[in-house]
Amino acid sequence: MNESLIKAYLNLHAVFQNLEDLVKFDEPMAQLIRDWDLTVEFVVRNGPSAFVEFKNGVCRHGATAHDNPTVRLYFTSAGHLNRMFDGKATPIPLKGFLRLGFLKREFAQLTDRLTYYLRPELGKPDDESYVKLNTILTLQTAIYAVKVLGMLEPTSKKIAAHIPAGALQVEVLPAGPCLHLVFDKGGISVAKGPAKQPMAKMAFKNLQVANALLTGKLDGFLAVANGDVVLQGQLPMVDNLNLILDRVPRYLV
Amino acid sequence: MTSPDVSNGMKIYQYDKSAALFRRAAKVIPCGIYGHFSPTPCVPVSAYPFFSERTEGAKFWDVDGNEFVDYMCAYGPMVLGYHHPVVDEAYQAQMKRADSNSVASPKMVELAEFMVDMIPVADWAFFAKNGADVTNYAAMIARAVTGRNKIIAIAGGYHGTTPWMQAAGHHGTIDDDLTHIRRIPWNDFAALERVVAEHPNDVAGFIASPYHHPIFVDNEMPAEGYWQKVQQFLKKNGIVFIIDDVRCGFRLHMGGSNELFGFKPDLICFCKAIANGYPISALVGTESLKNVAAKVFHTGSFWYSAGPMAAALACLQELKRIDGPKIMADQGKKLLAGMVEISKAHGYHLQVSGAPSMPYLRITDDASLMLHQQWCAECTRRGAYLTSHHNWFVSTAHTDEDIQRTLEIADDAFKAVKQAR
Repeated sequence: MNESLIKAYLNLHAVFQNLEDLVKFDEPMAQLIRDWDLTVEFVVRNGPSAFVEFKNGVCRHGATAHDNPTVRLYFTSAGHLNRMFDGKATPIPLKGFLRLGFLKREFAQLTDRLTYYLRPELGKPDDESYVKLNTILTLQTAIYAVKVLGMLEPTSKKIAAHIPAGALQVEVLPAGPCLHLVFDKGGISVAKGPAKQPMAKMAFKNLQVANALLTGKLDGFLAVANGDVVLQGQLPMVDNLNLILDRVPRYLV
Repeated sequence: MTSPDVSNGMKIYQYDKSAALFRRAAKVIPCGIYGHFSPTPCVPVSAYPFFSERTEGAKFWDVDGNEFVDYMCAYGPMVLGYHHPVVDEAYQAQMKRADSNSVASPKMVELAEFMVDMIPVADWAFFAKNGADVTNYAAMIARAVTGRNKIIAIAGGYHGTTPWMQAAGHHGTIDDDLTHIRRIPWNDFAALERVVAEHPNDVAGFIASPYHHPIFVDNEMPAEGYWQKVQQFLKKNGIVFIIDDVRCGFRLHMGGSNELFGFKPDLICFCKAIANGYPISALVGTESLKNVAAKVFHTGSFWYSAGPMAAALACLQELKRIDGPKIMADQGKKLLAGMVEISKAHGYHLQVSGAPSMPYLRITDDASLMLHQQWCAECTRRGAYLTSHHNWFVSTAHTDEDIQRTLEIADDAFKAVKQAR
């Protein structure tokens, strides 16, 4: 699988799922989507599909095609989709032509806000509320990216093959976020929330520690030794998770 | 009234100085403490000391003054006890005469002669510093003598940190490092046959430890007849048979651990216990590989240091004299029998695998290992230094009193675990 296709999967399945939490935690975006009732589907030729559904002030992301979206956006290639994520291309609408104005205005507002929170150089890294959401969304992107890379990227697939079966929980103390990955004979699933029976846990002491680690300002080994990051259980799961996590920046800046 | 740092009369250790020293270390050393001494696999890290102040016999004292019965034995090198007088005197006497200098030492010849006499497989010996020095050398010899590329190893087997020995995706390695490495499951003779068939006339060597001792999982002994079939098959196919005896060497058998299991490899890698902590490793091999070994250029700045060679000679002589492997096996059995009994009394099942002198233990009541980690941590905080992820090591210096003390600690640690749950 080529780099562009992996990046397309990451954009649709790891980055875009953050819209669910963006509209939950960012008040202006919560207001923006409050009355939306539509589903936008993204389809890449010979590549991934995904949709985001807005209803009753809630956003739901799906990493599949949608049966009956309000808007269907088509991309001729993975590169086409990736260029759109970089703001350098526009999609081809296949359905929902009457909503094109909405896409350019309101929906673009939403995605711009997501970019703002995921790229500290565009945001306010000194602002506590900004850092909070930046950390939550970056961590979620990273953990969802592990699933994508572990299933698709050749080196990450080899790493994932060494991960013992079971659930690996990643959480930020004391109030979250909390996510978990489940590894099972080459299959990987990811979900938000705690695992029922985690085989391993990686817990960050607080959002500041998580942010410092995610932005490369803190050495993970030191953080563990200092007790800022607590590891428990089947540590080979955590070791291999970290090897895959370290490969995410090759695809996502 | 019980103070929070005392449990049933046992002091619960604190590590303030260790933590402070680690903060200093972190400023000037990557990871603070790197490699297999890194605190990372110690769970929770707060239960473990990071720095030692002094050692004696089977014990060490950390920088906070806490005393530990040491079941990691420097991860294997300590075999006769820290500061063993025979080994230390031999080392110091040699250091007074000569250590590193411009020509080789007679001690190198004496040590090689002794090892060739003692180890049935050995017709020659070569010395370096670390285990990976000689596992690398063994692979180079295998390739040189066969003119082939592939090395077969066991999945989960550890032979050092050189890129070809690491798993895919590790930092500092590239995918091409593993182009000629094939990993097969332990005890799977059919897999060995299959891989050799897949690469006709291209398998140079097969490397494995005498029994399977990975970390975080139960260790596994060779199946009945496994090694004999492997030996015969490799010989038939012209593949060099390498045993990595770095961890087990001289803890199981003075002639090389292969003697315990009844087979003869072509090359054996030794390190760890060879000199009771002084830095030296060795590769020994059969006569048929001696000329090729001579052609493979492999060297290092300190590989001729005479002090560690004198220490190795004294250590091996002493281990042989006292039948060190038997003492360690006996003491290991006492320790393990006691621990299993205590765990049962507390309602837990402690699974023991590997050799009694270097056992791997795991509480099976929780597959995630969190319970086991908690128990090992409670033991360590009471003065029995043991890790939860790696096999332990028993030395000839572990006395019955040390073991009794350890069992008392294990008992109190189980109480603490139960209480916390």
